[in-house]
Amino acid sequence: MKKCILILTLSVILLTGISFAALGYQEAPQLAELVQAGKLPPVEERLPEEPLMVKPIEGIGKYGGTWHRGFTGIKDYHAFGRQVYDPMLRWPRDPKDPVQPGLAKEWEWSDEGKTLTLHLRKGLKWSDGHPFTTADITFWWNDIELDTNITAAPHTEWVIDGKPMELEVVDDYTIKLKFSKPNGLAETVGLAFHGNQWPLGFERFGFFAPRHYLEQYHPKYNPEVDYTVFEDKAFDYNTERPVMTAWKISEWGPGATRLVAERNPYYWKVDPEGNQLPYIDELVLTLFEEAEALNLRAIEGGYDMQFRRISLSNYPAFQQNKDRYGYRIFLWPDAVPSKLCYFFNQSIEDDGLRNIFQNPKFRQAMSLAIDREVINEVSYLGLGIPRAFTVVPDSPYFEPDLDQLYAQYDPALANQLLDEIGLKKGTDGFRTQPDGSRLEIIVEGMDWDKATLDEMELVVAAWNDVGVRTSMRTMSREIYWTRACSNEVQIATWTESRAIDPMTDPIWVFPFDERSWMAPAYGTWYKSEGSLGKEPPTYFKEMMALYDQYKVTVDSEKQKEIAKKLVRTHAENVFVIGTVGMTPNVVVVKNDFRNVPDTFTTDWIYMAPGTLDPCHFYFDR
Amino acid sequence: MPGIDFDRSTPGNYKRYDMIAYIIKRFLGMIPTFIIISIITFVIVQLPPGDFVTSAQAEIAASGGGMDSSTVEAMRVRYGLDRPILVQYWKWVSGFPRGDFGYSLEWNAPVWDIIAGRLGWTILLSGLALVFMWVVSIPIGIYSARHKYSLGDNVFSFLGFLGLSVPDFMLSLMWLVFATMVLRISASGLHSPQMVDAPWSLTKFLDLLNHLWPPVVIMGIVGTAELIRIMRGNLLDILNQQYVTTARAKGLEEKVVVQKYAVRMAINPLISVLGMQIPKMISSSIIVGLVLSVPTVGPIFLRALITQDMYLAGAILLLMTVMLLIGNLLADIALAWVDPRIRYE
Repeated sequence: MKKCILILTLSVILLTGISFAALGYQEAPQLAELVQAGKLPPVEERLPEEPLMVKPIEGIGKYGGTWHRGFTGIKDYHAFGRQVYDPMLRWPRDPKDPVQPGLAKEWEWSDEGKTLTLHLRKGLKWSDGHPFTTADITFWWNDIELDTNITAAPHTEWVIDGKPMELEVVDDYTIKLKFSKPNGLAETVGLAFHGNQWPLGFERFGFFAPRHYLEQYHPKYNPEVDYTVFEDKAFDYNTERPVMTAWKISEWGPGATRLVAERNPYYWKVDPEGNQLPYIDELVLTLFEEAEALNLRAIEGGYDMQFRRISLSNYPAFQQNKDRYGYRIFLWPDAVPSKLCYFFNQSIEDDGLRNIFQNPKFRQAMSLAIDREVINEVSYLGLGIPRAFTVVPDSPYFEPDLDQLYAQYDPALANQLLDEIGLKKGTDGFRTQPDGSRLEIIVEGMDWDKATLDEMELVVAAWNDVGVRTSMRTMSREIYWTRACSNEVQIATWTESRAIDPMTDPIWVFPFDERSWMAPAYGTWYKSEGSLGKEPPTYFKEMMALYDQYKVTVDSEKQKEIAKKLVRTHAENVFVIGTVGMTPNVVVVKNDFRNVPDTFTTDWIYMAPGTLDPCHFYFDR
Repeated sequence: MPGIDFDRSTPGNYKRYDMIAYIIKRFLGMIPTFIIISIITFVIVQLPPGDFVTSAQAEIAASGGGMDSSTVEAMRVRYGLDRPILVQYWKWVSGFPRGDFGYSLEWNAPVWDIIAGRLGWTILLSGLALVFMWVVSIPIGIYSARHKYSLGDNVFSFLGFLGLSVPDFMLSLMWLVFATMVLRISASGLHSPQMVDAPWSLTKFLDLLNHLWPPVVIMGIVGTAELIRIMRGNLLDILNQQYVTTARAKGLEEKVVVQKYAVRMAINPLISVLGMQIPKMISSSIIVGLVLSVPTVGPIFLRALITQDMYLAGAILLLMTVMLLIGNLLADIALAWVDPRIRYE
C-alpha cells in the first residue's frame, strides 16, 4: 500500500513535471508543424534554460502576419536593424531605469570596477541551432575588433589609457572583462549600445559574432579567402549568416527592391504565458528611392507600423486618410534637443570672430534674439516645443530649469548684452567688432527640406534685427559635412539627437571630436590626445577632464552626478543654440497592430523602437 | 570573277556591301568614342568633393548614426579609395573586356548583378514610350497639317505645347497624387501592394500593365508634342512642293497624294530625330522611374551619384552612352533604308 502511494505520488509529481514542461512553452503554428515533421527540435530544446520574459505593453499577442514597412536603400539598414535590437545588455524601456539583462542574464563588477563578469543565458542558440557561447565573444574581440585588417582601432570604450581590455573565459557561459582602470562606459556604451552582433550595418560595432560560421571565411583560419569575403559573409545583409535576433533576413540581394526577414525559430524570448516570440511571422520592407514616394505609400495605408522616414509635413494628409485606410497616428517626441541647432564655431581661425564666439554673453544674446514660437508655427505645425538646446525631460540628467535657459524671446536684453561686450551699433543699424571692423557672420547648412530652410531664414532675420549682419549658405550634404568637420564653417547647423543620454557619444556637450561643431579643432585635439587640432581654452579643458573622470567611474549614481554637471555647464554657456525641439515623429500604426504605446521618446542611441521589443508586436486578427 | 562582276553591276547589291562596310566602320568608330567616354565618365563621377566614404559618413550621421574618423579611414583603405585616381580608373576599365563593369561599393556586389534586371525594364519602358510617341504623333501630325488652323489643329497644338512645357517629373507627381487621392489606387511601383507576393496569373499581369502605362505615357508625352510639331511642319512644307502639286494635277486622290507622296518624305526628319529621342527617353526613364518607384536603372543611378558609388554610377553612365551610340546607328540605318537617296560615306 505504502509502495503504491509512493509510486502514485511519484508519478503525479513526474506527470506534473512533464506536463508543466510540455505546457510551459508554446510556439508559432508553422514551427509546431516543423517540429511534427521532425525538421526542428521541440520548443523546450530551442529555448535557453531561462528565456528572457518580455513584459507586454498591452497584452498577450497572437501568432501570424506580415509586418510591412518601407525603406530607402541599403544604407537605410536601421529601417530593419532597429526592429531587432538584441545586444548583450539592453537599454531600459524607460531611460531613467538602469541597464537591463539581454543575452547576458547577470553581470557583476569586482576588483574596484576593473573587472566585469558576464553570465550568459545557458542554452542560447544561433538561428541555425548552434549554441551561443563565450567563444562567440572572444572571436569578435580577437579576430574582428583586434584585427587591424577589419577594425582600424578597437572602440574607445574597450581601451583605457591605451591598453585594450583582456578577456578571461571562465566557461562556455561566463566571461570576465578586465580593464586597467574602472570602466564607466562598459555597461552603457559597450554592452547596451554597441553590444549587438557585429557589424550592425555600416556602424561596424558589436560585441559578438557567430564563430562557427565565420571562422571558415576568416583569412586567419582559412588562408584561401581574403578579407573582402569575410566582410561579405559577416555583413548583416548576408542571408546565410546566423543571427540572435527575432527575425533573420531571408531575401535580399544586389538590385533587390524589397527585403524580407523571417522568424528565427531559436529566438530566446517568451511572453509571460510562455509563448515563444516573435509573434509576427515576417517583415517585408519595400524599397523606395524617394522619401516622398515612401510617404505616399504610408498615407495610403501601405505600412503596418512605421515612423522612420515619415515626414512631419505630411501630418495633415495622414490625418485626412487614417480612417479610410484603417490606421492610427501617434506623435512620438523625438529626442532631439532642437530640430535644427546652431553651433558658433569657437575654434574658428579668424581671431576677431573667435573672440566674439567664445564670449558666453554673445551666444546668450543670439539665443535671446530668436522668437521660437514663430519658428514652431512656421516650420513645425506648432507641434514642437520651443526650448533651449539641452537634454529632454526623459533624460536621467534633466533638471527643470535647463530647457528654458536663454530661450525666451527678449530682443531688448539681447541688444543690451551685445552692447555690453563692445559690439557697437553703427548708423546703418549693424554692429561692428570691438576694434571697429565690420562684423559679418555666415550660417551654413545643407540643402534641408523646406521647413528647415524656413526656420534658418527666420533665425538669420532675427540676428540681423539685433544688428548682427548675418547671411546664410546651403550646399549638398557631402560638401557641407566635410567643411564643417574641417573647422571651416563659422556657424554650423545640424539636426542633433542623443538628447536622452548624450554621454554615450558626447559630441554636442563639449568638443569631443571633429563632429563637435561648436569647436571642431578643439575636438580633434581631444580625440587625438593633443597631437592634432588646436589646444582648447581652460573652460573646455575642464569639461574634458570631467568626462575623463566619467569614463573611469563605475558607480552609476556618481556617473549621473558628473553627467549632470556637464549638461548644466553646457546649457548655461549656450554652447549650442536650439530653437524648437522634441518635434514629433509621425507614427503610422494599423488599427489591428498592437502592443505599440501611445507615446514614447525616440532616440537613435536607444535604437528606437528597439527597446519596445518589436518581437512582441502582433496583429489582432 | 564574273560572278562578282555581275554582282557589282547590280546597284542593289553594290549598295548592300556598302552598307555592311558602313556599319562595321561605324562600330569601329565607336571604340575610341567609348574609351573617351569612359574617361570623361570616370572624371565626372569623381568631380564632386569627397568620396563614397565621406558621403556614407554624412548620410549615416544624418539619419542619426555615427562613424568616427578611424572607421572612416579604414573604410577608405578597404575600398581602395586611398589609391591614385589612375589606379582606380585602370582597376575599373581593365575588367570591361571580361564583361566586368566594376564593383558597387554601396551594394557590395558586382555592378552587372545590380543593373542587369533593371536594364530590361529601362529598355522596355523607353521602347514602349518611343512606340507610343510615334503611334500618337504621326497621325495627329498628319491631321494637323491637313487641317491647318482648324479647331482640331488648334486643340492639338495647345495640348502639344502643354505637354512640351510640363516637365515629366511634374506629370509623374500629378499622376501619383491624382491616382492616390482621387482614384484611390496605388500608383507607384510595378504591382499593387497586395499583388507583390501573389504568384503570376492573369490578374497579376493586368495589374502590371496597369502600372506600366502611366510611366510610358508620361515619358512619351514630351516627345510626342515635339514630334507632332515636326511632322506637321514638314508635311506642310512638302504639301506646298511642286511634285505634290504635280501629283494632284495628275488627278491622284488626295489620300494617295498625302500618304504615298508627302508623308513618306515628311517622315524622314522624324527618323533622324529618333537618334535624339533615345537619350531623352533614357533620361526621362531615370526621373519617372524615380518618382513612380519603377525599377529602372534610374533610381539606382541617381543614388549612385549621390552616394558617389563611382563604379556603379560610371558603369550606368557608360551603358547609357552605349545604348545611345547604338540607337543613333540604328536611326541612321533606318533612315538609309527609308530614303534611297542617302549615300554611305
